Amino acid sequence: MKKIALYLIPLGLFLGLSIFLFQGLFSDPRDHQSSLLEKPMPEFVLPDLMDIEKTYTEEVFLGKVTLLNVWGVWCITCAIELPYLKQLQDEGKHIVGLYYDQDIDPDFGIKTVERVQQEVTDKLSQLGNPYAYNIFDVKRDLSLDLGVTGAPETYLIDQQGKIRLHHIGDINPRVWNNKFATLYDELVVQ
Amino acid sequence: MNRLINTFFILILVCFGNSVSATEDNFQFDSPQQNALFLELTKELRCPKCQNQNIADSDAMIAVDLRRKVYELLQKGYDRDQVIDFMKQRYGDFVYYQPPVNPMTIWLWLLPILFIVVALAGIVMTRKRQAPEIDNEQLAKAQAILERDE
Repeated sequence: MKKIALYLIPLGLFLGLSIFLFQGLFSDPRDHQSSLLEKPMPEFVLPDLMDIEKTYTEEVFLGKVTLLNVWGVWCITCAIELPYLKQLQDEGKHIVGLYYDQDIDPDFGIKTVERVQQEVTDKLSQLGNPYAYNIFDVKRDLSLDLGVTGAPETYLIDQQGKIRLHHIGDINPRVWNNKFATLYDELVVQ
Repeated sequence: MNRLINTFFILILVCFGNSVSATEDNFQFDSPQQNALFLELTKELRCPKCQNQNIADSDAMIAVDLRRKVYELLQKGYDRDQVIDFMKQRYGDFVYYQPPVNPMTIWLWLLPILFIVVALAGIVMTRKRQAPEIDNEQLAKAQAILERDE
């Protein structure tokens, strides 16, 4: 009896290891929690994309629940999620764009603001405009402070201006219902 | 045929292209020490977008931005730990190749030691159990047999 128990130890260890490694097959290496959750929005002073004279700071998020969507016209997945974002806006959600351009190299800066604005206007008139306004992250500093790894990414910001959720990838009905809906409804009621 | 050659060529590029470092930025440093620190940090910080590359090796936009940030921070007089903390605050522990020691990760260090201890204990236990099986009487018998053979 004791001998059987002894032989079961390696079997048990093997099974444990197998289960652990098997789970690894289905884990998403890109899925790591943002370290900014529950923290206030980082400080920033950035212009409006369409009206460069106008500037925003982190205080603009106080008082309402906001979806901050990081995007760019060069980003294909962003174009795919735009119609759904538009639908969310039609349902009354407050969506703000954080726009950044890939072609603007802070060390050189070859693209004019007018051209960026034209590209954005074209894209939005074609696919629908879900944004209340767009913040222009000229040198991608705010993106860096937010821990953005690429586009699209979306942050859910509560009425106190705190980041409550960070989603990497596009927003679609499945993601909205599984990840955002419950928390969003909770935050709106507060 | 032409297509096949093209595919082959692309494969070669994909396989070996990575070994060429992507760093082509022109950063000016005040001192060689600072330059060395920059090279060290960009090797140890991990690109959040391209999982298995450090930011020195990657040409993703985020890696370019992070390299410039490291440079800016060094110019501002940040030391090594401060730069790493700055990045960790934004991109999590993920961004640094050396994992922190916490209740979750302590097993990375403890498990090998535990394994060795348990294995040693196992060996000692089995040795002890075998030891009394040969007593003096058996030894004498064996000796007798050996002597007889001679």
